[in-house]
Amino acid sequence: MSETCCLQVGQDVPDFKLETFEPTKGDFGETSLETLKANKKWTILLFYPADFTFV
Amino acid sequence: MGAEVITVSTDTKFVHLAWQREEKMLKDVTYPMGADPTGKVSRMFGVYDEATGLALRGTFIISPEGKLLNSEVNFYNMGRNIDELIRKFKANLHLAKHANEGCPSKWKEEGDKTLKPSAKMVGKVYEAYEGK
Repeated sequence: MSETCCLQVGQDVPDFKLETFEPTKGDFGETSLETLKANKKWTILLFYPADFTFV
Repeated sequence: MGAEVITVSTDTKFVHLAWQREEKMLKDVTYPMGADPTGKVSRMFGVYDEATGLALRGTFIISPEGKLLNSEVNFYNMGRNIDELIRKFKANLHLAKHANEGCPSKWKEEGDKTLKPSAKMVGKVYEAYEGK
């Protein structure tokens, strides 16, 4: 197992960045936990295996 | 619902674009589709499958302060229940305002009975919950 696999419920999430595709704009974008926190947003992350499969 | 929903897979943003445009089931999607081709974020949340390079079906709720409050991971072949996700999110909103309460398993929405853990309740959860 990698050393970064140990995030547990109740812990602070380290900052992360993701490049995004934003369907509402039809354009690429970027998001980060830092930005979400600055905007006082609740965040729900939904991981899934792969595009072009069922979600 | 008042939360930023972000979907994440190990595909690139280019594939996200192509998929969202091609798949008619996704025509109404509004949430940002996050790209994690290196698996860095997936690893951070423990959902990266080293054998396949794909992410397991992980669902995580993070508070505005950046704390991880809920975690659920399904294997590839099982979808998520959106009602349960919404229940958890609503419970988080309630608990953020009422830190001394707990939302029991049957709690569904604002107004439902919560519990305030105390010495008096030890062994008497039934009475506290049922009001008897």
